[in-house]
Amino acid sequence: MPVLLELDHMTIRFGGLIAVSELNMQVEEGKIGSLIGPNGAGKSTVFNVITGIYTPTRGKVTFKGQNITGLKPYAITSLGIARTFQNIRLFKNLSVLDNVKIGRHCRAGGGIFGALTRHPGIKREEKTIAEKSLSALDLVGLTAKKNEQARNLSYGEQRRLEIARALAAEPVLLLLDEPAAGMNPQEKQTLMQMILNIRQTGVTILLVEHDMKFVMNISDCVDVLDYGCKIASGTPSEVQKDPAVITAYLGKEVG
Amino acid sequence: MEGVLSILTNPYYNQVLTMMGIFLIAALGLHLITGVTGQFSFGHAAFLSIGAYSSALMTIYLHTPFFLNMLVGGLLAALFGILLGIPSMRLTGDYLGITTLGFGEIVRIVFINTKITGGAMGLGGIPKETNIAIVYILVVLTVFSLYRIQNSRFGRALAAIREDEIAAETMGINVYWYKIKAFAVGTFFAGVSGALFAHMMQYLNPSDFGFSRSFDILNFVVLGGLGSIPGTILGTAVLSLAPEFLRFVKEYRMLIYGALMILMMIFRPYGLLGNVDLVRVFRSLRSRGAGKGTVSGDS
Amino acid sequence: MFFQQLVNGVTLGATYALIALGYTMVYGIIQLINFAHGEVYMIGAFVGLIMVAVYKVNFFIALLAAMAVCIPLAVLIERVAYRPLRNSTRLAPLISALGVSIFLQTLVTLIKGDPNPLGFPHVIQDTVYALGPVKFSLIQVVILIVASLLMVFLEITVKYTKIGKAMRATSEDYETANLMGINVNHVVSFTFAAGAALAAAGGVLVGMYFNSINPFMGVTVGLKSFCAAVVGGIGSIPGAMLGGLLLGIAEVFGVAAGFDTYKEAISFGLLIIILLFRPTGLLGHPIQRKV
Repeated sequence: MPVLLELDHMTIRFGGLIAVSELNMQVEEGKIGSLIGPNGAGKSTVFNVITGIYTPTRGKVTFKGQNITGLKPYAITSLGIARTFQNIRLFKNLSVLDNVKIGRHCRAGGGIFGALTRHPGIKREEKTIAEKSLSALDLVGLTAKKNEQARNLSYGEQRRLEIARALAAEPVLLLLDEPAAGMNPQEKQTLMQMILNIRQTGVTILLVEHDMKFVMNISDCVDVLDYGCKIASGTPSEVQKDPAVITAYLGKEVG
Repeated sequence: MEGVLSILTNPYYNQVLTMMGIFLIAALGLHLITGVTGQFSFGHAAFLSIGAYSSALMTIYLHTPFFLNMLVGGLLAALFGILLGIPSMRLTGDYLGITTLGFGEIVRIVFINTKITGGAMGLGGIPKETNIAIVYILVVLTVFSLYRIQNSRFGRALAAIREDEIAAETMGINVYWYKIKAFAVGTFFAGVSGALFAHMMQYLNPSDFGFSRSFDILNFVVLGGLGSIPGTILGTAVLSLAPEFLRFVKEYRMLIYGALMILMMIFRPYGLLGNVDLVRVFRSLRSRGAGKGTVSGDS
Repeated sequence: MFFQQLVNGVTLGATYALIALGYTMVYGIIQLINFAHGEVYMIGAFVGLIMVAVYKVNFFIALLAAMAVCIPLAVLIERVAYRPLRNSTRLAPLISALGVSIFLQTLVTLIKGDPNPLGFPHVIQDTVYALGPVKFSLIQVVILIVASLLMVFLEITVKYTKIGKAMRATSEDYETANLMGINVNHVVSFTFAAGAALAAAGGVLVGMYFNSINPFMGVTVGLKSFCAAVVGGIGSIPGAMLGGLLLGIAEVFGVAAGFDTYKEAISFGLLIIILLFRPTGLLGHPIQRKV
């Protein structure tokens, strides 16, 4: 499988704190990868670097063979990386459908002139935006709530809406930051199926997740971070047996 | 009908309503910047003054048609909006507010020091071109344009920026550039409003465009209900007419005006129409009319 | 000539700094641009004038009286117009502050009977000291001494007292300070009181220096002082002092260089230039984007 995303000796430092150190990591096309590690290990920071919110102090991020280090977040999104946030960041006072439509921003082009004239090209574009947005909502099972304000959704629904919003950007790579957080076992089961369905449509997925059962069941490969350093990498079963991982992380869980 | 006609023919009411319409256009411009995009601007009056002086000078010296001058006034204001936006849109919140306030004061002082605009003595002899019909036709056009903008890809991006800049940027929106665009459109309307003002008053003075004017317009946008076009219209109507209704209290007028601002914010911090979704209210009224009896929840 | 202008600039800057401190402390704690602060300064000037003109008290009693009036006034303003809005939108307290500002300007105009400026009696003699070619008037000396003493006093309060520690904690993190058992309402009231005391002193000093006060004097000076606070780095006490001095000096030198008609624009120009290069002011902390 060709490599879709590659981090090459990526280091990021905030003042005196080295958040992530010399990280080498690859995500293969069509796979579900996971990034795990204890709290504060630097997982979300890795996402923020990949999506361009932070610029790495050293190292390189390559996506589809193109160096994307230091690109602005909006540019990276249009290249095909979309994400969700650990601490849900929806457009709370906008409707569910508008949230998803905004997710499609980078796949359309209408500007001020188009907004004022609503010429046929814009009408077509708006129609496509609406159709694609509705199908993204359908994929996460929120069609019935499309006119609700995002803030009125339940926690689990908000998480799913974030996924729909990211999907609307038609990403090649989808980054999910703790998608299962705060969900009950049943919701997690639905979510897992949803992620598998998304992969089925050809989207590569990278997860940050705390729920080990979830990660081990769904991932093709797992990378483990601890204090900003990668301590293990491999298939779920390999990682589970890795002594470094057991001491650093799983050890606590096994007892 | 008779009542409406007498209001329109009464020069005093006519003047009050015309001025209200003129400032409504400016307020709708600020609504796009502050209400929709969530960016503070405390120097909106400066853009009115740019539109006002440029169009007035064109009318006086170039004798070009009024509508052309008005358009140029709007475009020039927008140009300055972009020029101010390029360096300052990297600032957020209060920093942006205070920068625009500073810009507004600088523009005012430049006009005081400019010969061709009559300096502190003011610029007179502007022919009267503005009338209530022109103003309200333009009000309708402005509302229509803003409605279309807000319901477009561009407008959704602006609302996304207001809601969460980082999420907006991650959704592929060039936040910096969109803020500048919003600023350009908003200041364009301010410029048009200024041109109408100039050709209504027939005399301009830099003191017409101080920061208290900017804050008046901000009040129009906030007091009615931030982020909603009906809210901006209501806020502008109430606050433009309030001083007229408060005339009987004579010298206590501004005292009451100030106190009302405080009380309004304490009792309705989201504005008169804040948290009222008019579309939803309308829908629920209609569905009730159709006998379904459903009333929407938390509007 | 240069040193003479420098002395004049520092004097003016010291008064800006006194007022800027009130803006910066309040902003540091509740992130509010207290637009009514300029009016507190204006009322301080009027109280000072009444004390010296009507009650014939000496300068220091007038100064204390101005503070004694302005402190409860500012605490009251916060209590009535800002506290109910503390968890509201960002714009609501701002509009409320503007309301207070308009209210107080009109109130003073009504009490006074007209908006025209009043002269300030000469309570301090026009003695001039010469230090080589540089001349200090007695009033300049008084301004510099009083302003320095007040700022030192503030610095000691903030650094070494219990309430000062609570102020710093609240300014660092309002929520956590609250959870740690700090009575943030007391801290906020104290902050308004301290800012008002400094502004009142500034009002009396400026009234004497320029020998003219009016109900709208707080507007321009207030805005410029706020600029000073932002230039120095809003929330930073040394920043407000630095910003005040810088703006005062820039204004005096600007006028001396022939830009007298642009006097009022100098502060704003400087503000914009500095914000473009240091978006959080000279001594402000850079903002880290939180995700």
